[in-house]
Parts: sequence; structure tokens; C-alpha cells
Amino acid sequence: MINSFYEGIIVTCCVNIIAVLGMSVLTGFTRLFSFGNAGFMAIGAYTAAICSVQFHLPFALSILIGSAAAGIVAYLLGSLTIRLRGDYFLISCLGFGECVRVLFLYLRDITGGAVGYTGIPFRTTWIVALVCAIAAFIIAWNLIHSRFGQAFSAIRENEVAAAANGIDVVKYKKMSFVFSAIFAGWAGGLYAHYLQHITPVLFNLPKSCELVITTVLGGLGSLSGSVLGTLVVQLLPEFFRKFSEYRMLAYGIAVVLVILLRPSGLMGYKEFPDLFKKTGKKKSTGGA
Amino acid sequence: MNSNTPLLEMKGVEKHFGGVRAIDNFDLRVMPRDIYGLIGPNGAGKTTIFNTITGIYQADAGQIFFEGKDITKIRPHEAAAIGIARTFQNIRLFGNLSVKMNVIIACNIRGGYTMAEALLRLPRYRKVSKETEERAMKFLDSVGLTDKADDIASSLPYGHQRKLEIARAMATDPKLLLLDEPAAGMNEEESLDLVDFVKKLHRDNPITILMIEHHMDVVSRLCEQCTVLDFGKTLAQGTVEEVKQNEAVIAAYLGGEL
Amino acid sequence: MKILVQQMITGISIGSVYALIASGYALVYSLLDFSNWAHGEVCMLGAYCCFMATLIPRMPFALSCVIGIAGAALISLFNERIAYRRIRNNGSPNMFLMIAAMGLSTTYQNLANVIWGSKFKQLPRFFKTSTLNINGIFVGTTDLLCIVISMIVLLLLLLIINKTRFGLNVRAVACAGTTARIMGIRIDQVIALVFVLAGALAGLAGITYGMKYNVYPTMGNVGLKAFIASVIGGLGSVPGAIVGAVLLGLIETVVSGYISSGLRDLISFSLLILILLVRPAGLFGVDVQEKA
Repeated sequence: MINSFYEGIIVTCCVNIIAVLGMSVLTGFTRLFSFGNAGFMAIGAYTAAICSVQFHLPFALSILIGSAAAGIVAYLLGSLTIRLRGDYFLISCLGFGECVRVLFLYLRDITGGAVGYTGIPFRTTWIVALVCAIAAFIIAWNLIHSRFGQAFSAIRENEVAAAANGIDVVKYKKMSFVFSAIFAGWAGGLYAHYLQHITPVLFNLPKSCELVITTVLGGLGSLSGSVLGTLVVQLLPEFFRKFSEYRMLAYGIAVVLVILLRPSGLMGYKEFPDLFKKTGKKKSTGGA
Repeated sequence: MNSNTPLLEMKGVEKHFGGVRAIDNFDLRVMPRDIYGLIGPNGAGKTTIFNTITGIYQADAGQIFFEGKDITKIRPHEAAAIGIARTFQNIRLFGNLSVKMNVIIACNIRGGYTMAEALLRLPRYRKVSKETEERAMKFLDSVGLTDKADDIASSLPYGHQRKLEIARAMATDPKLLLLDEPAAGMNEEESLDLVDFVKKLHRDNPITILMIEHHMDVVSRLCEQCTVLDFGKTLAQGTVEEVKQNEAVIAAYLGGEL
Repeated sequence: MKILVQQMITGISIGSVYALIASGYALVYSLLDFSNWAHGEVCMLGAYCCFMATLIPRMPFALSCVIGIAGAALISLFNERIAYRRIRNNGSPNMFLMIAAMGLSTTYQNLANVIWGSKFKQLPRFFKTSTLNINGIFVGTTDLLCIVISMIVLLLLLLIINKTRFGLNVRAVACAGTTARIMGIRIDQVIALVFVLAGALAGLAGITYGMKYNVYPTMGNVGLKAFIASVIGGLGSVPGAIVGAVLLGLIETVVSGYISSGLRDLISFSLLILILLVRPAGLFGVDVQEKA
């Protein structure tokens, strides 16, 4: 009913939307940058794959365990690193992401090493992916519009003032970090059950960077911007498939141009509904 | 707790930065319902006192009590939770958020629903959210910012930003309100407005106020008691009238201003 | 024992290449508080400039090296002029500098791929003999050359920072940009010169790396290692970056030699996290507390 080319595009988009939404909560709303979220995707992907293949668990349960594993690791890592200031936090995430990748390469007996982990059943159809992406959006939206998400925005705006108004900054930062990791793990698990064959290279540092860049391009502080950003980043290269050599070149130039010309991203601090409201008066969102 | 227990008491509190003694052997007793003034030139250590009370800094020596309980090692968010709210000398709003959201975030200190209830939008989440919003509007109303509720906080004029910061502090349900130079950058007329505003705030709410202020006319109109600081040391303590007569104070600081 | 000495020399040699790049990260970070992730690609492009120069008939290799270094310096300056300066001036968050640098990095890597292809290119070597035998210890001549050149250049760099007027200006801007501006220092000029200096160092690193190994489009990834070295040393500290770089080079070769080359990166990255946990601002960094 839908050919495999389009199914591939839809699944890839949806999987990345989920990972980027997690990133968006972390970066766009809490102003924490992580260059290690591909590592959480890897944890989700491998855990879910192993659950499916070795233990024959049902698909939904495997995905759940995969995301939970990513969340638990994020909780442990965050307990150690969330207090690091500014760049040092994102660097520790970067180091973590690379550790995960190298570890999965090294543990050949469990993960298949560089050759990859094969024999994963095909479960992530385009319908499953789409339903998951929509669910992810609703969950992220509800989180952002609750007192928890409002606390994230407060931390982004001013940590000292947030603490003075009763927000436990360390606790909420960790919460945001774990949330982004769960989403990354969810995306990873789904991706594994689409590709049926995963390798550590899929989850390398450039992938982590891509997640951050997509979030920034879409606009910090906007969930719908993150979705739009993902669609642009994932779909544009498809149009330039013929010039595959120049694809990544164009992508790099596009990133620089957007940062220079439209620094707030495609949808900075705005959500889709805001675009249809009366303009003229300064509107505010970003967690409101 | 009887009526003789001070709401806030500091005993021999010290804080050093490197070799500099920002506050030295500092004592303070603020009784419930007081409006208490902290006076002193720039760099006298007034803001450092606020920061040690609210847990942003840890005191190097001495003890701090709130309602008789030792809060020397408190963390900033815990200070807010037990009823100590503050404003900042250099206003710290949640700049990119709406005016209303600034106050809602402070109202959230009451909690009221769990993560699961929020993610699934269960009835309790909706009920509490609605109540929180109404409560926030009430606080905005009390500072006269109702019609600015949807504006971005950083777009407000300076005087309104000060009021919003006070509204936000009030929304955490404080027993003690710390005001850090609320009249900074205001002309005489605006300062007098502020005096009325703080008086009304104190009359309408069961709060105690500790304020740092440069403007002597603001202090004399508002505070019964005050402490004068210079280079971390306490120069004088007493009623505003007593302090004004104190020779050390006149020599060190107030001098020509009186 | 002899093997250990050999490995130490290899380690210091790769560490000295890291140090050349890492000091560039540190210089830029000290002024602008951002990690210039395009720096590795500047290093790569410097190596390619040098390679292109060697293709010119009768070009002395030393002159090719100068061309490579100059090319890298120019590209580094170009990045500052077209991207970083604009971002600083339009009031965007500091993080955008880093994102722009990531974009530039992707652009250059793929540009190199389009122009020169992904095949390895070889730079000529300085010496005819590739290894020396000193009492049974085999030492690569290129390794020795790397160490000697890097040591001289890094000493010069430290002298420039600590003894010259330009160095004083750099330190002043690093401490307090606005005050420095009021005191009459032309900040944009200082920043531009620092980018030229960092670029030249990266170009030199690219050439030495190219002599040791090869020149290829993704060789800029060595910049990531150098970046880690600068974090270990403490962001923004040039001596820290140098110490961190040599330390990282040594650890990498020792781990590859005695434990497993597969675990090399795992151990370097774990070390990075560990050091941050013990010293949250790196070995030589100062942990500053925000004033409330």
C-alpha cells in the first residue's frame, strides 16, 4: 500500500522527530547542550534489539525496555555530570557518546562489533513510526506545558532566579536530561526494528551533532519548530539525491547560513498556532 | 514559637572571598511583621548577607535561624520552600517568558499534580493548572500588571519589571520577603510610589520585610529598625532615628546626605 | 623497557601534534568562550595547501610548508570574518558560535572530499632515512622532527603570550573584554590576529600529521582529540592545553601498545569524564562562580 522508498523516508523522519523532540526539551527549553544523545539512541537500539532477538520479547516491550535503559543510564550519568558548568557538561556528554560507540564496537560477542547486530525482526512499519512520533509530540507538549516544563524554561531563562522561586535546579536539569535520553532510546529502538541491522557507526558523534543542529535550525524553545527542522534536515537531502557528492556540502553551508541569517531558527520561541494568532502585539511562548 | 522568637536571626555570620571579608561577625534579629532596613555603601556586604540567607553562598562561620530552625546550610530552592522569597539588585526575570508565566512558575512551588497526571492531562492537572493561572492573575492584579499579562517580561519598562519581580516573589507564599534595593534607579517621585506600594504589600499580607536600600528617605519612611554596614562590619544598629544620630555612621557614610 | 621508551617517543610526538591544535582551541576559547570546532578542518586544509604546493615543479618542500601554514591562517581568519564576528555582533547566544563552527566543519570536510576525493595523499618526508637506531631503540625521524618543531613553536607561542605587547592585549581581552575596549584595545583586531595565530599553528600541525601519516578529508577528526586535550588541560589555558595534549598522546600510545587499540578511544574518553568529575574545570582551569 506504500512503497518501500516512501516507507523508509517516513520511518526515518519519524524516528528522528522523536530523538529531536527529546533534544528540544533538553536544549530548547532547559538550555543544556548534549553531544551524546546518539549514545542514548545506541543504548535504546541495542537493548531493544537484544530483547527482541535473544529473549523473544514482544516488540512494544522491547522498545519500552530500550528507552528505560537509556533513561537509567542518563540518570546515572546526569547524577555525576549535571553540575558541570556550561561547555564542560556538553563535553562530558560528547565523551560519553563516544564511549558508548567504542564500547559497542569492542563488545563483539554481545553486539557483533563493527559488523553489526543482525536478525532484528522488522516491526517498525510507517504506521507504527507515525503513531509513535505523534505520541511523542503529545507527551513532549504536555510536559512542556506542565509545571515541570515551566521549571525547565525558568532554568533556561535564569538559574539563580529559578532557584530563588523554589525550583531545585539540579533535580529539574537531571529530569530534562533523562527525558531526552528516554526519547533518544525510544527512537533508537524503533530504528533498530526498521533497519533490522544496526552498527555502532549509525550512532556516532556526527549523529549527535545532527540532532543538536536540527534542534537549533528548527528554533530553540519550539516543539513544532523541532518537527519542522527534522523534516527539512531529513527531506532536503532526498531532493538532492542525484548530487549525493554535494549533499553534505550543501547541508554544512545551510547550517552556517541559517545561523548567520536567521539566528532564532525556523520557529524560535513560537509554535505553529502562534503563527495564526493576531500579530502586532509581541507574543510570548517558549513554555507558556 | 512564641512572639519573642525572631523570624530571622543571624549570629556571628562570616563570609570571605579569598582574603576579602565580605561580612564579618554579623548579627541580626528580625521580628515577625517588621520592615527592617540594611543600609551601607556599595561593597559593604549587604547583598552577600541576602545570598547567605537564601543559600546561594554558604556562610564560613556563624549560624542563621529562621523561625527558630537552623537554616545555615540551606539550598536556594529549599529557602524558597520554607517561606523566604527575594528580589535581586539587578532584576532577574525570566526574560523571554510572558509576564503571567513569570508568576505562574513561582506559584508552582505548591506542586499539586504528578508527572504522570501532567503527561496524560488528567483532571487534577487541569484543575490545578487553572487554579494556578487564576492565582497568578491575582498577584499581577495586586501590582497593577493585569493588562500586561501576555507581554514578554523583558519588554516591560524598568519600574514594571521591579513590580513583576516582587509579584513573583509574593507568589511563592513567603513569610519573609527580601528586597534588594527596590528603589535603585528610581527618581524621587517613583521612590515615593514604591514606599506606598511596599506599605500596602506589608499591610495586605502577613509578611516580614528585610530590605537593602540606599535612599535614606525610603528607609526612614518604611523601616522602624535598621542596621548600617561598612566593609562587612556592623557600624550601628537600632531605630532609623538612632542610627541617624550615630557619629560613626555619620562619619563613615551618611555624612552630607542627612 | 626499550619498547616503552619507543612508545613514549611516539606518544610525545603525536601529543605534540595535538598540542599545536589544542593551543589554538585554548587561545580562541580564552577570548570568545567558545570551542571552535572548525579548527580541525583548518588543520586539514593547511595540509592540503601544503600538498598542492608540493605539486608545483621545483618548489622546495620548506616553502610548501610555509604556503600550507599561511593557507591555514587565512582560512582561520576567513571563518572569523564571515561567521564568528557577525554572530558576536548580532547578539546571538554564545552557543551559536559553536553551531556555526560545526557547520563550517561539515562544509570544509565535504568540500575537500569534492575537490580532492577521499584518497590518501602523501606528503614528502624531510629525511631520507625513516628511522634512527639509538642503542637498539628505533626512533622515527619524522617523530623527532615533530617533537622538536612543536617544542620550538610552542615555546615561541608562550613567549608571545607572556612577553609581547600583543600577548598582553590578548590576555587583557580574555580577562575583561569591555574594559579592554575602554582602555583602547581594538578587540576585533586582537581576535582576528588570534585566529591567524591559531590557524598557523593548526596548519603546522596538519603538515606534521600529514608527514607522519597521510593527508585525507576526514583528517580534521584529529581536532577532536586535540579538543579533548584542551578540555583536560582546562578550556582557555594554553599551558594546560599543551600538558593535556602530551598526556593524551602518551596515554593513547601506551593503551594501544599494552592493552588494546580497540579500547584506546574508550579510555581517553573515560579519562576525560573522570578528570572533569575530579576537576570540573580541567587541570589548569579556574572554576568561576557566577555572582548572584
